[in-house]
Order: sequence, then C-alpha cells, then structure tokens
Amino acid sequence: MTDGMSTQKAGLKQTIEFDDKSVRWFMGASIVWALVAMLVGVIIAFQLNFWQVNGKFLEWITFGAFKTEGLQYITFGRLRPLHTNAAIFAFVGNMMFAGIYYSTQRLCKCRTASDLLSRIHFWGWQLIIVGAAVTLPIGLTRGKEYAELIWPINIAVAVIWLVFAFNFLWTLKKRNEPSLYVALWFYIATIITITVLYVVNHLQIPTSLTHAYPVFSGVQDALVQWWYGHNAVAFFLTTPMLGIMYYFLPKAADRPVYSYRLSIIHFWSLVFIYIWAGPHHLLNTALPKWLQMLAMFFSLMLWAPSWGGMLNGLLTLRGAWDKLRTDPVIKFFVAAVTFYGMCTFEGPLLAIRSVNALSHYTDWTIGHVHSGTLGWNGFLAAGMFYWMAPRLWKTKLWSESLANMHFWVGLIGILLYVGSMWVAGIMQGLLLNETDETGTRLIYEFAETVDKINLLLFARALGGTLFLVGFILLAVNIYKTARSGQATNGTVEVFVEEKKKQDGMTWSEVFRNDPIAYTFWIIVFMLLWFFLPPYANWMALGITLILTWLAVRAFKKSTNTWAGWYEHLLENYMPFTVLVFIAMAIGGAIQIIPTVTVNRAKNIEDRLQVPYTPLELAGRDIYVSEGCYNCHSQMIRTLVPEVMRYGDYSRLGESIYDFPHQWGSKRTGPDLAREAGKRGDDWHFAHMMDPRSLNSQSRMPNYIWLAHKDTDIKALPSKIAVQRRLGVPYEAMTKNVILDQAKKQAQEIASRLIDAQVSIPEKAGVELPSSEAAKEYLQKKQIVALIAYLQKLGTYVEVTPEGAAGHKPATIKPGLPDTYRPDKKPATVVPEKTPAEPEK
Amino acid sequence: MAEEKDNTAETKTKVELEQLPEGVILRDHVYDGIREYDQRLPNWWLFTLYIMIVFFIGYWVAYYQFGWIKSDVERLDEGMAVVKAAQVRELEKVAENLDDTALWKMSQDTAVVAAGEKTFQTVCFACHGKDLSATMAGNKLPGEPLNDAIWKYGEGTPMGIYNIVMKGSPDITKGMVAFEGQLGAKGVVETVAYILSYHEPKSDGSAQPKGK
Repeated sequence: MTDGMSTQKAGLKQTIEFDDKSVRWFMGASIVWALVAMLVGVIIAFQLNFWQVNGKFLEWITFGAFKTEGLQYITFGRLRPLHTNAAIFAFVGNMMFAGIYYSTQRLCKCRTASDLLSRIHFWGWQLIIVGAAVTLPIGLTRGKEYAELIWPINIAVAVIWLVFAFNFLWTLKKRNEPSLYVALWFYIATIITITVLYVVNHLQIPTSLTHAYPVFSGVQDALVQWWYGHNAVAFFLTTPMLGIMYYFLPKAADRPVYSYRLSIIHFWSLVFIYIWAGPHHLLNTALPKWLQMLAMFFSLMLWAPSWGGMLNGLLTLRGAWDKLRTDPVIKFFVAAVTFYGMCTFEGPLLAIRSVNALSHYTDWTIGHVHSGTLGWNGFLAAGMFYWMAPRLWKTKLWSESLANMHFWVGLIGILLYVGSMWVAGIMQGLLLNETDETGTRLIYEFAETVDKINLLLFARALGGTLFLVGFILLAVNIYKTARSGQATNGTVEVFVEEKKKQDGMTWSEVFRNDPIAYTFWIIVFMLLWFFLPPYANWMALGITLILTWLAVRAFKKSTNTWAGWYEHLLENYMPFTVLVFIAMAIGGAIQIIPTVTVNRAKNIEDRLQVPYTPLELAGRDIYVSEGCYNCHSQMIRTLVPEVMRYGDYSRLGESIYDFPHQWGSKRTGPDLAREAGKRGDDWHFAHMMDPRSLNSQSRMPNYIWLAHKDTDIKALPSKIAVQRRLGVPYEAMTKNVILDQAKKQAQEIASRLIDAQVSIPEKAGVELPSSEAAKEYLQKKQIVALIAYLQKLGTYVEVTPEGAAGHKPATIKPGLPDTYRPDKKPATVVPEKTPAEPEK
Repeated sequence: MAEEKDNTAETKTKVELEQLPEGVILRDHVYDGIREYDQRLPNWWLFTLYIMIVFFIGYWVAYYQFGWIKSDVERLDEGMAVVKAAQVRELEKVAENLDDTALWKMSQDTAVVAAGEKTFQTVCFACHGKDLSATMAGNKLPGEPLNDAIWKYGEGTPMGIYNIVMKGSPDITKGMVAFEGQLGAKGVVETVAYILSYHEPKSDGSAQPKGK
C-alpha cells in the first residue's frame, strides 16, 4: 500500500489514488467502539432491572473473589453518559468519517487534501474517546447530556473537528468534479452546524483543570443545551447519514436517485427547519411559551422534509427490489431508511405538547432515540461496512450468510427494544397520571410505576443484547474479509482540462438574484410576524403570505433561471457553504439570543431562587458528578398530575442560579425540584446508603462511598469566584469565610445525623468509638454536602417581576410574543400543597 | 492499487434504455457512476408540508392574536381547582363529626383498620417500621416510633395524629411530609385508625399502647 499522492501524469490524463487507508482505520475504530458502546448500554440496561449489577453481581460472577458493595465507577449515573457519548461520537462518529472520507474522494475525483490532517484527525479523535472513557466513570463531567466531557477534552474535540472541517473543505477546493453531489451538501451542513452547536454549548469558565461552570444557567442553559442536544441528533446522527445514504444506496442498488428536485427541497427545508425544533425537549416546562410553540410547530413542519430523505432512499430502489432477497447490503439499507422514516414520524408526534405531556420523562423517548441510533444509524453503518469492506480489501465478503444472520438478529433485537420501550413509556406515563375515583389522589407511588414496567425493561435489555450480538457477527465478518484480502486503494482517472468551470461565482451572483431575495424577505416578514405587537404582526403575516405567492409565481414563470442559478451554485463550494450556514443560523439565533441577552430579572416570573451556600454548592457538584440527572429531573411541569405528585409547578426563576441546569430528560426516579424539607436529613442518609431499606421497590444503587469520601471544599473559593463572575449574587467572601461557612453547616448536619442515630457503613480502618468521633468524621464527607444540597432544592423568595401586571407596549416595538397575548382572565391563585418555605 | 471501473458509460446506456414515465427526466450529470432522475414531488408529501404550515399559522393566530386557547397556567389552575374542590368535599365528608371519639371508634372497626394497615405497610413502614417501632432488624429508621406513649408532636390525641399525617410535621426540615395529597383524607383517617388499633386512650386523652 502506498502512502501519499501518486500521480502519474500521462499527458492531460491523471491517475489519482484515493486515501482509503483512513477509511479502513475509521471503519475499524467505528466497529470496535460500537461494541464498547453497546456493551456499556447492555450493562446499564440491566442495572435498571437489577440494581446489584454495579456491586453484588461482580461478587457473584467472580464467585466471591472480588468483594464489593457497589463500585462507584460503574453506576448508571456515570455509565450512561459514557454509553451515549460512545454511541454518538465514537461509533457513529467514526462511521461517519469513514463514509465521508470514502465518498467525498470519489465524488470530488480527488484524493483527500492532506494525509497528515487525516492522520491527526484519526488519532486525535480516538484519543478524545479514550479520554472520555477514563474521565466519565471517575465522575468528571459537565452534567449536560451528550456534552458531559470536561473542558480540556472539549478543546481537543473542537480542534480535531476543525482539522476535519479544514481537510474536507480543502478537498472540495481541490476537486476535479465541478458540481457538488447531494451527499456533499449534507456533509457541508454537518460540518458547519456541529461546529457552531458544539462551541456555543461548551462556553464555560474553568474553576480547575477538570471542572468548569457553563456560562449559561437555568432556562438559558436548558435552551442552549437542547438546541445543541436536539441538533446533535439532527446534524451528527441524521445529515451525515443522509449524505452517506445518497452515496452508498444508489451505488449498492445501481439505480439512479429518485428525484433531484426532492433532494433540493428536502435538504434546504431540513437545514432551515431542524434547528428551530430543539426546545421540544422542554415542552410544558418553565420555558417561555413562545419557544415551546415554535418548537412544536417547526417539529411538525419537519415531518415532510424528513420524509423527503426517506422517499429519496426507498424510491431509488424502484427496479432493484429483487436485490432485497439476495443482497444483505440492500437489506440493511432498506431497514435503515425505513427506521429513519418511522423515527421521523415519531419525532414530530412526540413534539406535540399534549403527547409530550405523557411521553416526556418516560422510556418512550429512550425507545425513540434507539430506533434512530440502532435502527437508522446502526443498520446504515452495517450496510455501508458490508459494502465497503470487499472493495477496501479487494476481495469478497467473507460470509454473506453471516451478514444475513446479523440482519435478522439485529432486527429482532431492535424491534424488541423499541416495542418494549413504547409500551413501557406509555404505560408508565398513564400510571403516573392515574387518580382514584374521587380524582383527589394519585394511585401509584413513583417506584411502583417503575416496578410495573420491570418486565418491559428486561425485554429492552434483551433486545439490546441481541443487537450487540449482531454487531459481534459483523465484527467477525469484516475481520475475516480483511484477512482474506489485500488492503487496496481505489483510483480514478481524471482529465486535467476537464477542471475549472468551478468556484468562479461572484458574491453578487450568489446573493443578488430572485431565489435569494424572495427567501430573504419571506423569512424577514415571518420573523416580524412573531415579534411585532398586535396589528403590526397581522400586516407582517399578510406580507409574508403575499411574498410567498409572488415567489411561487416568479418560480413558475422562470423555472429555468432559478434552476440554472442553483446548478451554478453547486459548482461553487464556498458560496454554498455560506448559504448553508445562514439557513442553519437563523433558527438558533432567533430562539437563543432573546433569551440569553435579556437580563436575569426580566427572565423570571414571580419567584427567585435563593443562591446556594458554599456547602450546598459543593453538594450540587457531587450531585452532578454522580450523574443523578440521568434518573432524576428537577422540573415540575405545568400539568395537574405532576403538581399533585411533586408540588407547585417550577418557575423560570427557581433555577436561575443553576450552572448547569438539571431539569433532566428522563425519570427512573421521582422529580426532585421541591425536595427541600420533604424528608429529614436522616431519611436522606439512610436512603443514600441503602435505598431499599426505605422503599423496597427502589432500584437506585447504594451510594456507600459518599459516607467515606471527603467533600472537596478546598475547591469552593475558586468555584464561588467563577459563580460571582457569572452573576450569582454572592457577597464578597474571603477564602476563609467560605471554608468556615461550609464547615459550620457541615457540622450542623453531621450532628443532626449522629443524634438521629444513623448507622455509618463500616469501612476497613475506620473506627468511630464515640459519637463525637463520628460527627468529626462525617462532617467532612460528601454525603453531608449532598444532603445540604437536597435540602435546598426548590427554595425561593417571592419577587415582583419587572414590567409585570399586564404590561402591554403601546409603541410598535418588537417584543416577545408571550407579552402580547390577550389576558382572558386573571389567573386564580392556587394554594400551595407542599410549600417550600422561603429562606429568611 | 485497484482500478475502480468507471461504469458511467455502462450505467448510462442501461438506464437510458428504460422507458421513463411522463414528466420524469433523467439528468445528464453522472457522479461517480450515480445518476439522478428529476421528478415531481408526490402530492401527499407536498400536502403534508402545506397542512403543517397552515396548522402553524392558524394555531399561532388563535393563541396569540385572539387568545382563544388557554395558556398552560390557566389550564393548570382550572385543573387544580377541580382537584382542590374534590379534596374539600372528601374532607368534609370524612371529617364530618370527626373527632377523637370517632377515631377511637374507627380503630375498633376491622374493615377500616384493614384498609389502614394496607396503606401503612406500603407507605409508612419505610420510616416507622413494619411493627411501628421505627426500627428494622435492630437499626433505627428515620421515623418516630408509634408503638409507645411518647408523641413528639400533636400531644398524642387521635386528632393530633390525624393532623400531623395530613399536614406534615411542624418543622418540615426534620420531620414528616404532608400526606394529604398522596393518601387523601380518607386514606389518612384509615391509617390513623390502624395506628390507634395498637393503642387505648389514656386519662388525658392521648394514646398509649394497649395493656400498659
């Protein structure tokens, strides 16, 4: 195998050898990490059935050689982030890079611009993954879903991603094929959008080498997080996959793509609309209503654009359906695209606020994402690997029947998974809402509802195991294929003269034309419709509709001019990239900028969170570090059963000093937003040490190490300094004052605990002869800080928000839509059921 | 090195020989052997998009311009008002003539006590113990023992116990949470009756364990 460009000049004809070595490496890495990610997934799935999996289970399988009451490194809270990050960034990430490197070189008829950058990209990415696999289990986390990695790794990710972006765009620049094929459009969208998403959601201020606070808090952080979280799904797990589908599916089927026109429409609508849908992860929460409305409706409008991708995939197979019987590659592709269709049907459905009221925080969502990652991404990856391997090693697939077996094992696995999660999610949602015949009380305790879906959780774990087994078959098959062949790089012949009709478009040609002008003004007036006060917004809506009508007319009249402009654009990669950036940036900017730029006081309604004391802050960081948010939410939604169960609904201002927010996305345990004062300190202590002593149906692990690990109070001064910079109203405190405060509060709690005769779990070398010694020992421990935090949750003071009392701007000045809605009647005041007493 | 066969020419002829339906164009451009048709978008697909856009505009106008649709807080308040009213009704029904004597009487009623026992042994036992001793296997549980004559709050009268269970202990940072919401007034009365079934009245009206 030769490295580097070997170009033979024969007159005007050049033979270019592709860099397929990178492709082979990325593919190998993807398969290895897929096995790791899925194995971790299977382990944590079983943890939800059997809490002993992180402890006693290890004793059983080693026949008692390994003694443990529970390992802190492999609790659900710490492993789930590892599972999600590994599945997204390690498995799908490497698979995406393999697919992009393979297809881009061929679609550009040129070798990847720089072998060096490809190598840096490969090794850098693998190092990042190893870094993640080390830091997450030891509890170093940012506490934001799919963005858990700590700040030094974040910087590495950003650098390596830019290396990839640069290498890719440089390859486009050097391309020997003027026109960009649709697969490349999707790759461009991926690269641009992920860069923006990643950077914004990882803005943070370090407090130490391994810890940082995000610059956003509460609702702002939630909004930014789910703009990122949702669009990571959109632009990391969807657009690159669509690009891969557009290349590999027609290749494998040997059929023309169904419709170019559909490609254009669904690409641009997808890129424009997807980004708006992020807040649908926060429906019925304290998020302002206008954002919830936009999220829901943009999700619904996304239905068709998403299905455009599925149509272009499935309908391309017209005339090649016979291959479905014989070719495992086509089988995988068809299943993948079908799962994509199913998943993007389900997504908008779940984004409807009333459906979401039931589904959110349940396992339905978990089933939904797995039909995406396993069904759509996993099968697409398998199809692509089975198709590429024989070509990359110039041989035949080692065993077609093994590949077929993989298909069926995997399909049964994923169906079992998704099916059981549907039932589990809907069932738990209904159980949680169920009241007795008087309607005055809920029937089921939270843990009971989890217990009732026990069998379904088990079926899910089995489904996941089957999918893993399928992937092991793939790994064997690909390995054997590689061994049976010879690593081979593809080549292509290009004519030098063919080059250069490309990249000559001027910026004026890009922007000054009918399609852009109409689109621009339609979007401008649409935005004005959202934000202008009554009557002015009517006009904006009217103008939007008129402009749309005019645009359609202009398009019908000069279709060829519009189409010609677009084809010209396709020969210019930079202008294309810029337009993609603009289309993608609008949604995020409109949703996020108003929320993060208005000052805190305007963001709150009627309640303001009481800032944490130093010890509580330390406790909160322990809560984040243990990954409690993976099972417990801190957000009581505006729904009757939720208020009956947990207390008054959460207000915006009640998490305004939470860096990061901990609203959560799934509940395997109850909500904790108003946990303060509900139970005594000793209850919490007993519960953390052995949850089953207080609730036999609980499946939370025993957090014994919290009673023996010291709280890192030394880090508090720098943490509080950062929080002050971020706007939390701490008084100026010297280091000693902070430490004294923390110690004093810890002493109080430790005394209360010992006086209540809590039993501290035994540990070798720890002897506590007297209660004084026990107090002295306990006050330094993490459990005390954590209890301090838990006893603070939901503590607020009443405030009068600025501009309250039916504030209606009289001038035509843009404002947030929620301020314009006519008041039907004054809200009746609901007496609080479980009041969290304001401090002082 | 492997020459990747550029099967452009071949694909072209094969596909071009096929008869295309009316309005379908096979585009000239070939990308690494991949060709594209250009054909109309399916009507049902277009209408899915249009209907969603219309729904968006309609709902937004109905909500923001006309205020026809209730806001979340309005809907929640109405829902909670219904629940509250039902709770008050139930409380009135249960609490009618509810006093120490009535509760003592209920503690003799096996049906009421059995219902209370069920609640106690699924909810309360966690802190107060299966045998009301607030211990489990010799270990102290967080709750107060209920099988002795010591009553930390509420003076140990039946109504005192009832109020604590309904509203929670006076100092909620240390004691028990209110169970009115979870058990309802009826559930609380039954549970109190169950606890009282272990007791008998003392001269001052408070409860003491039977036979002491």
